[in-house]
Amino acid sequence: MPARNHKQWTSPPPLKAGEWVDSRIYSDPDIFEEEQEKIFKKVWIPVCHESELPEPYDFRTISIAREPIIVVRGSDNEVRAFLNVCPHRGMMIERRPSGSFAPAQPSGNPKHMTCMFHAWQFDMKGNCTYISREEEGYQDRLKKEDVGLRRLRCEVKFGGFIWVTLNDQIDQSVEEWAAGSFECIRGAIDTEPLQVFHYHKAIISCNYKLWHDTNSEFYHDYMHYHNRVTGFNDEYFARKNVTFSNGHVNVNSFEVNYDQYEGFESRAELSFPTFPPNQWYMIDMFPGMNFNLRGSALRCDIMTPLGPNKVMIEFRGLGLKSDSPEDRKARIEHHNSIWGPFGRNLHEDLIGVTGQGSTMQTGSEPRRILHGRHEDNLIHDEVGLRHFYEEWGKWMDRMPSDPMKKYMAAAE
Amino acid sequence: MSANGNQVSDAVKDTIYRSCLFLDDEKWSDFLELCDQSFNYVIKAYSPEISYDMTYFSGSRDEIESITDMLPKHNTDHSSLKRHATVYTVDVEEDGDTATAVTSLVVYQNMYDGVNSHIDSGENHLFLIGKYIDKFKMDGDNAKLVEREVRLDTRRLDKGTHYII
Repeated sequence: MPARNHKQWTSPPPLKAGEWVDSRIYSDPDIFEEEQEKIFKKVWIPVCHESELPEPYDFRTISIAREPIIVVRGSDNEVRAFLNVCPHRGMMIERRPSGSFAPAQPSGNPKHMTCMFHAWQFDMKGNCTYISREEEGYQDRLKKEDVGLRRLRCEVKFGGFIWVTLNDQIDQSVEEWAAGSFECIRGAIDTEPLQVFHYHKAIISCNYKLWHDTNSEFYHDYMHYHNRVTGFNDEYFARKNVTFSNGHVNVNSFEVNYDQYEGFESRAELSFPTFPPNQWYMIDMFPGMNFNLRGSALRCDIMTPLGPNKVMIEFRGLGLKSDSPEDRKARIEHHNSIWGPFGRNLHEDLIGVTGQGSTMQTGSEPRRILHGRHEDNLIHDEVGLRHFYEEWGKWMDRMPSDPMKKYMAAAE
Repeated sequence: MSANGNQVSDAVKDTIYRSCLFLDDEKWSDFLELCDQSFNYVIKAYSPEISYDMTYFSGSRDEIESITDMLPKHNTDHSSLKRHATVYTVDVEEDGDTATAVTSLVVYQNMYDGVNSHIDSGENHLFLIGKYIDKFKMDGDNAKLVEREVRLDTRRLDKGTHYII
């Protein structure tokens, strides 16, 4: 077909409902705000890994849906999560990304979380243990027992990741929320402890869902020279996409021929426990987390949406805690060669979504984004995208293909 | 410093600054000409987030050559990286044949692609900050790079890059 005029360009494609989405879901500020309330404040989010706070009194700070969160390891070795907000005047209690509460702070005692502003102190279970000049100021009207921190539900699950939810009423455990999507790599990540060896972040001008889309479809392997030469054989094209409840997806494995890329080597000798040599599984979890095991290194992407056209992606790489220095070095090289900030593939993926973000800014003309490839659920089938947006529609009560219509009404 | 020490120090600085110019101009083979056959390159950063001294990239001379030779096969951001380097210290060993240098480094991205090249091209973004920690050995009057550690402070690298720093 020749280039189209405006009417043709904006006409529905010859595909069925559910096989495209309206680009406003990637750019509309109201939809973005609604997603924070209806999705990100309701679900389990993996926020960091237990190896990032290995000792009692270690902490990490993060945020979900703009809410600041602190994760701490108690003297009982339990990991707990709280809002990182002082109940007094709303100051952020801890401002550093990580550290230890074991030493004293300028405003407070050792082994306590101290709000520097007025020196209120809290223990690792979130109890308020000290209010400066408590009786003088509050007499018997307000006591320490009244001003504990806001605790958050928290689980350590699936290879030692720390999962937190802002939703006290969530009716599923992390296990139930994952709905079986981790079974493909469970033996590999739960046989022995893992350790994070890589962390970097990207803030990209695109909607968070565009990054998740890229992680959920492999048709974009045409963009990656590395993946074309190390894959693109019969076994690659036979990889299955498998869908799970709650919007999660697996991309099943095949044997990657790493040595087909000049200078790269097989990763067979460093496969994770129980994991066949050079295999590669991917788990895409609703609403925007990704676990990606390429035999010798595990990658995890955690997204923090910052605006309709802005997302922070935290990239972690993990190996086995028991790694020898030589094995760790090799794992890191394997990880970096493809997924590091100077690696072959990640840069290309991020260029891809930046290009999408540039055409889908707030106020851009609504466009149809096609998710209509059907190939028996095989690797270039876009079933992963369709499955995600089916779930998104339910949570948002909006039709992905026409987000100003209610989900059910539009489905009729 | 001895007269010989001054000559070595000057040679080291010359190699560092030339390396920046060659890398700025993406003249990878010219950069590698400044390197000894035993050259090793690594980009590292300490992450307080995970309390780990990380390696972001590493390679031997041959591996760097292979990676840069294959750049045309890869999609990449066409924005060039421009280095601003100041050699802080050059320590010449007593043998007069080897030296170590620490160079403060700022790398800007001169935008070509950007998010939307219509708007972004020609603009400069700060890409990263860090140091070169280099080791040299003398080859006649020239100082050859034996090791280069790019020690980054930056851990937010956005789109990243296919180029060595």
